[in-house]
Amino acid sequence: MTMPKNIYKALEGIVGPENISDDPAVLDSYRYSLAHTAIHLGPFFDTFTPRGSAVLLPGSTEEVQAIVKLCNKYRIKFKASSTFWSAQGYPSEDNTIQLDMRRMDQILEIDEKNMFAVIEPGVIGATLQAEAMKVGLNTHIPGAGCSCSTLAGATSYFGSGPSNLYGGWHYDNLLGVEWVMPTGEILRTGSLGAGCGWFCGEGPGPSMKGVARGFIGSKGAMGVYTKCAIKLFAWPGPTTLPVEGIVPAYKTSLPDNFKAYTVAFPSWKSWADAVYTIWDTGVGYIAHRQYSMFGRDLKFAMIKILTDPTKTLGDLEEILDDPEVQKITEESKRDFQIVLAGMTKRDIEWQDKALDEILSRTGGWKVEAMNEPEINKWMLLYLIRLGHKNLNLVFGGSYDGCFGLLGSADFGTSHVEEAAEFKKRWEKRGAVVEAGGDCMMGPIGGQGGGGTCLWENFTCFDPYDRDSIEGTLEFFDACTELGLERGWGVGMEKWNSQARGPDGRIAPKEERDRIHLSAPQPDIFRYQHKIRKAFNPNDLGDAYYETLDDS
Amino acid sequence: MDKKMAQLMEIVGKTNVFDNPQMGKDFSPVSDHVTSIKPRYMVKPKDVNEVQKIVIWANKTHTPLIPLSSGGPHFRGDTSPTVHGAVVVDLSGMKRILKIDRRNRLVCLEPGVTYTTLLPELQKEGLRIAMPILPRSNKSVLTSLLEREPVLSPKYQWNLLEPLRSLEIVWGNGDKIWSGSGVFRGEKEEDWKEGLVPVWGPGPMQLDYYKFVSAAQGCMGIVTWASVKCEVFPESRKLFFIQAQKLDDVIEFTYKLLKFRLGDELFIINNTCLGYIIADKPEEASALKATLPAWAVVLGITGGQILPGEKVEAQESDISDIARQFGLEMVPEIENCSGRELLELLLKPSEEPYWKLRYKGGAQEIFFLTTLDRTPGYVETMHSAADESQYPIGDIGVYIQPVHQGVCCHLEFVLPVDLMSPAESSQGQKLFRDASHRFFNQGAYFSRPYGIWADMVYQKDAKTMMVMQKVKEIFDQNNVMNPGKLCF
Repeated sequence: MTMPKNIYKALEGIVGPENISDDPAVLDSYRYSLAHTAIHLGPFFDTFTPRGSAVLLPGSTEEVQAIVKLCNKYRIKFKASSTFWSAQGYPSEDNTIQLDMRRMDQILEIDEKNMFAVIEPGVIGATLQAEAMKVGLNTHIPGAGCSCSTLAGATSYFGSGPSNLYGGWHYDNLLGVEWVMPTGEILRTGSLGAGCGWFCGEGPGPSMKGVARGFIGSKGAMGVYTKCAIKLFAWPGPTTLPVEGIVPAYKTSLPDNFKAYTVAFPSWKSWADAVYTIWDTGVGYIAHRQYSMFGRDLKFAMIKILTDPTKTLGDLEEILDDPEVQKITEESKRDFQIVLAGMTKRDIEWQDKALDEILSRTGGWKVEAMNEPEINKWMLLYLIRLGHKNLNLVFGGSYDGCFGLLGSADFGTSHVEEAAEFKKRWEKRGAVVEAGGDCMMGPIGGQGGGGTCLWENFTCFDPYDRDSIEGTLEFFDACTELGLERGWGVGMEKWNSQARGPDGRIAPKEERDRIHLSAPQPDIFRYQHKIRKAFNPNDLGDAYYETLDDS
Repeated sequence: MDKKMAQLMEIVGKTNVFDNPQMGKDFSPVSDHVTSIKPRYMVKPKDVNEVQKIVIWANKTHTPLIPLSSGGPHFRGDTSPTVHGAVVVDLSGMKRILKIDRRNRLVCLEPGVTYTTLLPELQKEGLRIAMPILPRSNKSVLTSLLEREPVLSPKYQWNLLEPLRSLEIVWGNGDKIWSGSGVFRGEKEEDWKEGLVPVWGPGPMQLDYYKFVSAAQGCMGIVTWASVKCEVFPESRKLFFIQAQKLDDVIEFTYKLLKFRLGDELFIINNTCLGYIIADKPEEASALKATLPAWAVVLGITGGQILPGEKVEAQESDISDIARQFGLEMVPEIENCSGRELLELLLKPSEEPYWKLRYKGGAQEIFFLTTLDRTPGYVETMHSAADESQYPIGDIGVYIQPVHQGVCCHLEFVLPVDLMSPAESSQGQKLFRDASHRFFNQGAYFSRPYGIWADMVYQKDAKTMMVMQKVKEIFDQNNVMNPGKLCF
């Protein structure tokens, strides 16, 4: 539907004619193919997120506020997105105004002493990291990668990634927030609202930051976050990350106070023992089970390809035939990557020895092939900058995670083999990439200091191929069934299925209610409904904010 | 018998309802935060079911409830009724340690568990908890964490609510939920073995329920158990001092330690405050002040289960080096106070009388959050205010506790007063009010706004107040939970 002219004019008056468009060609460029989403349909089915009624690029909080107030006046839904990661950044209902936040891209302040940065939505992880490193600080980069908005990960989604362990996930790191609420009023949380600065997001008294985000954020369905402060942490390296090599084999050489290892274990029990001991001991700067995303059977072969500019995916089968590669693949079955960063020379010496001691006590080992200098330098850059997100799509053009076993280290390790074996059955049928079943990627420490892991079983498929799409859908349905049967809960494959149905639009209320009523605590969604009624009375967001109204 | 009393007896049993006319005195605050009104009854529930029934009853009868977990004396007025007819819900009888899990470093405890009872139990399992500075021996662990009291070790605080994790919450409307991953409450031993444990604090989902009850002064609901993250009990530990004549001289050094997360316990204290902590008797505190350094960074170094000695040795050398770079010296003891002795004190709750009351029998405390670099300015303001009120500057204890890994710090002034002297008491109250306003105007963030601070902060931040009131309306629409506090 075309937006009424008077509304368009009013919006144009707010952002200026150069920052608004309802040209269908422009609007179509703000749609998303439902490949990496809960729907997994892909371009083959030509199913996209609904076309917005206009796209606007606001340049300030005041402009955002004026837009939101106008949306309330005319009861128009709106959805803001900064770097548009996945379908969640796109509308699920027709006639929604899309706010592209890229113009608000300033790092407003880096407080070196008190270790935080004040940023706008368009600031991406790589930029913030580069600026922070100039003053001896670093920022946590969530799993979405360094090209994604730091603010979006911290306020609106999950914010978890490889550096949770030392740097904290962005739930931990989110300090003061400036939030244009769905009504257009502005809430500034914590010390910011009190006029005392950005250093604290909580209080005064009960923390109203808890309305803005919980374990996850509201995914663009509850207003617009226009600024936030993010806690930083020490970077004991050079002021500029030295990057060398030829695409895609970029790597970095860092001083001796950095060490990157792949460690592996004879059993999942010893894997978990080591993880718990690492958390108890307080070693590690980054820890992630990273390269398993390529699959247990393929990961080392893929690393060989990715660290050698002369190799391509076409070489995969030949590399897999190499007995040495097979040996290393077997050796690193139950592995993870860990980067140590010493704040001093003594610190790195102690951490290095402590890690050796942990490995010795738990029966683990360092995978020596990963210490080969070119691989090691590539691994360092990969894990510190997290700039290789394209590799998520390298096999078939699309991927999604399934299971997502979230909990203590013992929880995931108890079920990883069963989940991997389950996936193998579907891999053999050819719908998804045959990678060894165990493609479980996730942080060693889901939060600051450890304590939890997330096991996201990467499933790569071809979104242009009907059989692949249908097979993937079937597999994900089966995953959900198994997860419920085994008490693991609904997996990542269905985490957003209440928000978007197979037509790319909001799922019917009955389906959403069914999902929420089957949750361990349906009241959680009833309270979210009450919060939405109180703070978003005109219901101008979408179903990514999950509510249950069965009164 | 009064009808309400009979109804309460039906819920908690005859012996657990108290109609004690003397009770009002027990609930008078030590400080000048609120004017207390005698509660009508006190009830002692034994479990969450009784708590839930009490809250539902309070909604039906429109009776104000005041949750209370710690023993007295109470300083901040949050547990003092400010409306007539209130019922105090005394949770001190719910004092079970439900589980200590070494592998996941979690303890699940009820609100009546005190630091005195918890610490030895944790130690048996090789664990410890990040402690506030010398809590009262009868202080509820859960309340201390819910109220966001600062802990001695900022490095373990990845967020300001650490080490608090999952909660069981009975809201003011009588509903019960489990926040975080509290739905995995480990009722079965197999759950702990499988790793289905209450290890997360946030959520679940898109609201952060534990933040709604955090620093809420019991205005939102009653927390009936919590899981708390523990640390490994160190096999090796030492305590050091870095002393200076001026507070400014240790600020940059402290920033450096915070940045590198060196050390474990880490705070800054002035000679007066340190004197109050280590003195056995009032007269000793005065004498000690003269010999102790004007300012000291107190720094603990710990080594856990893996190469503990080597870690302590490495950090000791590193921190000594850093101290020297700032023209400072790290020493294991100062005149009249050795690191070992102070460490022993810091690892336990306060001896009686409570350390803040030891000098004069009473004390006012003023605390807020700020950044470390701004602390000298506030100390100067405190001195000016004291000077104008003719309060002895030498009696002002200053405690600076970095929190949230050093992003900000808790700055606390301890102002001893002799409550038996009306003149001194009145002088203390005047200073408390005057200094509070000066700090507020200077940019101090009263993140835990007790008593008069609540009016100050919510008048300035009306939007937060509006949001809080909407949230309160959802979880406690009849305003039965501790009415009259904060902005409710």
